[in-house]
Amino acid sequence: MMAKLKPEDLSRIAEKMRRQTLLREGAGRAKVTVHMGTCGISAGARKIMTTLLGLIDQQQVQDVILTTSGCAGLCSREPMMTVEIKDKAPVKYVDLDEKKTLTIFTDHVLGGEIVTDFALGMGSERVS
Amino acid sequence: MIVQPEGIFYQMLTVENIPNLVEEHLVKGRPVDKLMYVPSKGKPPIPKLSDIAFFSKQRLVVLKNRGLIDPEKIDEYIARDGYQALAKALTSMDSEQVIEQVKGSGLRGRGGAGFSTGLKWELTRKSSGNGKYIICNADEGDPGAFMDRSIIESDPHSVLEGMVIGAYAIGAAEGCIYIREEYPLATKRLHIAIDQAREYGLLGEDILGSGFSFDITVHRGAGAFVCGEETSLIGSLQGQTPEPRIRPPFPAQSGLWGKPTNINNVETWANIPTIINRGAEWFASIGTESSKGTKVFSVVGKVNNTGLVEVPMGMTMREIVFDIGGGIPGGKKFKAVQTGGPSGGCIPESLVDLPIDYERLMEVGSIMGSGGLIVMDEETCMVDVARYFLDFLRSESCGKCTTCREGIAAMHDIVADICNGKGEPENIGLLEELAEAIKDASLCALGGTAPNPVLSTLRYFRDEYDAHIKDKKCPAGVCRALISYRIDPEKCKGCMLCGKHCPEKAIGGEPKGPQTIDLEKCIKCGVCRESCKFEAVLIE
Amino acid sequence: MTQEISIKKNSNGKIGAVMVLGAGVAGIQASLDLADMGYKVYLVENKPSIGGAMAQLDKTFPTNDCAMCLLSPKLVDTARHPNIEIITNADLHKLDGEAGNFTAIIDKRPRYIDEEKCTGCGTCTNNCPVRNIAHFEDVDELGKVHLSQEDQQVIEQILAGHESERAAVISVLQDINARYRYLPEDILRHTAKALDIPLSRVYSIATFYNSFSLVPRGKYVVRVCMGTACHVKGGYQILQALERMLKIASGGTTEDNLFSLEEVRCLGCCGLAPVITVNEDLYGSVKQAKLPKILERYQDESVVAESTVGGTE
Repeated sequence: MMAKLKPEDLSRIAEKMRRQTLLREGAGRAKVTVHMGTCGISAGARKIMTTLLGLIDQQQVQDVILTTSGCAGLCSREPMMTVEIKDKAPVKYVDLDEKKTLTIFTDHVLGGEIVTDFALGMGSERVS
Repeated sequence: MIVQPEGIFYQMLTVENIPNLVEEHLVKGRPVDKLMYVPSKGKPPIPKLSDIAFFSKQRLVVLKNRGLIDPEKIDEYIARDGYQALAKALTSMDSEQVIEQVKGSGLRGRGGAGFSTGLKWELTRKSSGNGKYIICNADEGDPGAFMDRSIIESDPHSVLEGMVIGAYAIGAAEGCIYIREEYPLATKRLHIAIDQAREYGLLGEDILGSGFSFDITVHRGAGAFVCGEETSLIGSLQGQTPEPRIRPPFPAQSGLWGKPTNINNVETWANIPTIINRGAEWFASIGTESSKGTKVFSVVGKVNNTGLVEVPMGMTMREIVFDIGGGIPGGKKFKAVQTGGPSGGCIPESLVDLPIDYERLMEVGSIMGSGGLIVMDEETCMVDVARYFLDFLRSESCGKCTTCREGIAAMHDIVADICNGKGEPENIGLLEELAEAIKDASLCALGGTAPNPVLSTLRYFRDEYDAHIKDKKCPAGVCRALISYRIDPEKCKGCMLCGKHCPEKAIGGEPKGPQTIDLEKCIKCGVCRESCKFEAVLIE
Repeated sequence: MTQEISIKKNSNGKIGAVMVLGAGVAGIQASLDLADMGYKVYLVENKPSIGGAMAQLDKTFPTNDCAMCLLSPKLVDTARHPNIEIITNADLHKLDGEAGNFTAIIDKRPRYIDEEKCTGCGTCTNNCPVRNIAHFEDVDELGKVHLSQEDQQVIEQILAGHESERAAVISVLQDINARYRYLPEDILRHTAKALDIPLSRVYSIATFYNSFSLVPRGKYVVRVCMGTACHVKGGYQILQALERMLKIASGGTTEDNLFSLEEVRCLGCCGLAPVITVNEDLYGSVKQAKLPKILERYQDESVVAESTVGGTE
């Protein structure tokens, strides 16, 4: 059982999480987010996730954070994933399958080179 | 594979690509760019998301965390300023100030009717009686709308935070989320989120040490469209058959278990944290005169980029369909956008520059609804769309009011006759008469708005009704009784794919020669047209 | 309350007032005709409301006209007619005199509500504690509830899981539906008894919601989304193609109990329209030509084990 929070605890958690997710504090070198809403899963996001888990396990990669998230909004191009390398803008990949995932993992996640053929774009959405 | 003599290398071919490749490259001598391998050196840089129209025109408030956080981890929500609004409300605002903020923001119910959220809260707050309830309506019944599912799936805590703030403002100790059973993933994530919030003391007794207590339970629906109506939703929560009841008394006075109850939908609740964080004025600066903030729309149907988009109120339909949606696939002609689900109407091409807000949609005979935008092209028959909605409403009418139960069925039969080529010119008048009766004499909004799809298609697409009735033709090529399939011998390559799929073996012809359809055997299922790679199957 | 209607003779011996007993459609029509002719009509009805049996019918014989559509305008006319006085919830106690000159004594039973203020919202009926007491004599007459030991355990467990809920009936039915894939009759009877609500109410809920079925479903339930986006992208053609392939109508189950075919209002995956689901697996952008392949996966047991995750076909 976790302790009940007080208002000031929120910023503490936020700061801790920000450090982790922004890859600043060396928690990881790259972060891969697979977009798994109902649409994404039915388009095959789970297969992508399995492939990535397999790759990370097989190649004993230690410094890649694999995480999931909800729908990214563009249903017609599912399954999608976002690859973020430390200190670089995140890149969104669309219309994925196992083969493309392998290429992206090898070239971009490990090799640092964006796979332009499968990429939709880089950067983040405008949040107001 | 490599095509000589040009030596062009094609990659990742599938069986489906081959006919296209043969046709374009080998027959017509045009290399197919999209199948070609693009060398990785000297490649063009990839665009920025902010330069892609689909993303650049959107403005994310409710969906601010989409794709960025893991919905099953509360810490990630907190990292993006989650629960800060709650802390702010509980520590530095009293309940009246919270309501003032929500009122001042101009936020209106995102479920469809567009009633001022702040006013609704105030009414419930001022109702006498203890043990007030708040309800989150996640029974997203409108076909073609899925924003509530997506919000819960990608950012469930924003809804919970909104509800806790609402409960604090209204003075409620218990909350319910009524969610469709068709959304298993959303339900699962909601349960996880609630458990995590409880563990952190963001739900339950003495939230954030403020002394305020509130908890939420989740109730699953069982598949009834009418449950989206407030009073019938309450009935369903009470274990009754969900029939709407007469109002007044409104739920704000006497709702769940007879206690004052405030109901808002998912998107409305999810707007609350940002309003509290950024202030009413900031929120009111987005949108139009009467409709503030942003609205999440599901852009679906005959459009290139289908998906969920959030745009400021007042954006035109053209921007949404053509810029964000990327236009109509296959170079087809845009015909209409259907908004508001079965209670809404169709907006024709002539009104495509209409800025979208509650009032303007109302003026043109539709409603905002929950935000489904179904794009229709020249191959969508508007009479068939009207028939579709009547069929939907006919089976979803709860049957309490005779006009709704019998009237919609009667309208359906008339429109179905028109689709089947049995329409008479006087049918139109009869439809209008029935529509008036149903509107006037039905208790709830389901019946009250049921004739809208027919009335709006009659208003803007009268020519299509006339074509069905007078010429016995379906211009869009949809109504089966009025069309026949034919294979264009010029375009047909004799691949015989259509014959392979035809369930009635109605297609014959020599290999590599033009195929023909035996109209006696043809049941017009359309599989030939669907499977033809050369667009050789025509509808007449 | 006893009301006395006394009618005095005029010069020709007959006077202008009539009493009609029974406010069914015959009584109502008679009253309307008489009232239109200028007579003062007292319409007396034993039940609390007028309308009689016709108000409870769906269609009338032999024309199959909608019963309420015919009747309701008459009900409204009767209530509004200045010459008609409706006396409901009443019995004729005594009648003296002859036609044209009679005295009737009518016993009017109390309603315990203020008729002036009532809007007819029906909340009182819904909440009436007397009406909602369950009576189970009927169940015994129709046959005892037979539950196997396993069923007994299952239902006890389900009921125990919802003990704390104030209105558990829908959640209980959902759990039964999830366990058995339909609602078996005996279990519904047991549920009614256990929750202390009339079987009729359980039945009305079980038949109202789309997700409940009173007949067994097949091993795989194929659901075709009938949302608007799916409709404009050919969802109906998909449904018909499945009907042809499985040789069952929508709502039916194949003879080998392998597949049931159902329509669903909207699965909320409109971006991938048209959409179908087979049990938990969801398939987007479905084409008619791809359906045999999808169904095949479930026809062969060994294949199913590998492909529990759906995919776009």
